[in-house]
Amino acid sequence: MKIKLHPSDQQLTLFAQGQAAPGESLIISAHVDMCPVCQKRMANVEMALAEQVLTEQSPLPDRQMQDMLAQILATPQASTTPAEVHYLELDGKHFALPRSLQRYASKINGWSHMVGKLWQARVDLGIHGRADFIYMEKGGSVPEHTHRGHELTLVLDGEFSDGKGHYDTGDFICCDGQHTHSPRTDADEGCLVFSVLDQPLHFTSGLARLLNPFSHLFFK
Amino acid sequence: MLVGIELNKYQAQGDVTNEMVACLHTVAAKRCQASFARLFHYFAPRLRAYALKQMGNDALAMELVQETLTNVWQKAHLFDASKGAPSTWIFTIARNIRFDMLRKQQHRKEDICADDLWPVLCEQTADLAQPELDEQVTLEQVGQLFEALPDKQKQVIEAIYIQGKSQQEVADALGIPLGTVKSRTRLALQRLKEMLSDED
Ligand SMILES: [Zn+2]
Repeated sequence: MKIKLHPSDQQLTLFAQGQAAPGESLIISAHVDMCPVCQKRMANVEMALAEQVLTEQSPLPDRQMQDMLAQILATPQASTTPAEVHYLELDGKHFALPRSLQRYASKINGWSHMVGKLWQARVDLGIHGRADFIYMEKGGSVPEHTHRGHELTLVLDGEFSDGKGHYDTGDFICCDGQHTHSPRTDADEGCLVFSVLDQPLHFTSGLARLLNPFSHLFFK
Repeated sequence: MLVGIELNKYQAQGDVTNEMVACLHTVAAKRCQASFARLFHYFAPRLRAYALKQMGNDALAMELVQETLTNVWQKAHLFDASKGAPSTWIFTIARNIRFDMLRKQQHRKEDICADDLWPVLCEQTADLAQPELDEQVTLEQVGQLFEALPDKQKQVIEAIYIQGKSQQEVADALGIPLGTVKSRTRLALQRLKEMLSDED
């Protein structure tokens, strides 16, 4: 299995600097957990940033240096405990999640059944916009829509297509107002994605247009 | 001449890096205060320059410097020289602490912290918690494979991954050396990995 779609250099650099928006940072982090290529890219970006950032010096007065050093040496060695492993559960299926999303498996307010064969579990991140786990059963699809803001999608398990491309586990997909698409999956095991949106979706075709007044209820 | 200067500069840089690696290892192994003092004097002024730019206020900048170097002192054992230079590791710690400090300071309500985003200061346990793509398996599969482990390995893996104990706690509870816990964990994970790749 090979991941084809990765965050751009710019997205990765902003993320490595800690300057990307929190929701975007989280989904990039989850991709990096799944993607050996981006783990190497991150290591290189962080090395370059460290060289750039830690070259300049701003000396402290001796007295302050000594005080700080003494305070630090007086602190005990920290013991760290490994994190527990959480699985995301839907209908008796258990999904392993990337490290960065582990903590959120227990923070969903249950799955809600939406149109067709689509399930959605909102993750309350307290961010501007929203984040969801979305599961499409085999044959399930999201009505054609476009985006007023940005939609970032990470395929956590399975695969799907949207009329423009085919996406496999680990792929990182960015959509904005230029993209109109209608994701669907024909994979037997269905498809689980994590999605971060900063604006409501805008449905563009057929009956689904009727959803627009209510789109805040679905995919706000 | 110019080439000579450049070479010297790079060589000096490499020497500093090697020295810092050695210091981190001594701090991790023996809590050596002199080695930490060396790291401290090298990095504190550099971190302060970064912190002043990021925090825009001397008190907060000093807090960022102190917090970063406290983590270096307390968690030197998490530094892994095969993954990068000491300066990279220390920069990423500062970046993480900056992120959490700004979140608090700006009263942002996001439930996303630096440890979620960048696992710099997390105990590296998680071969099981970070399944490689090819190793995505169902809970049932893991359960079956787990049952197939030798009893001693099963005991350690259960305590660490299911009960969430630290390796030290497991060592204490079983009355065996920490090193034995570590090697049993490593062997068990290796074995699980092999069994998983056999299944494909
Ligand atoms: Zn990638």
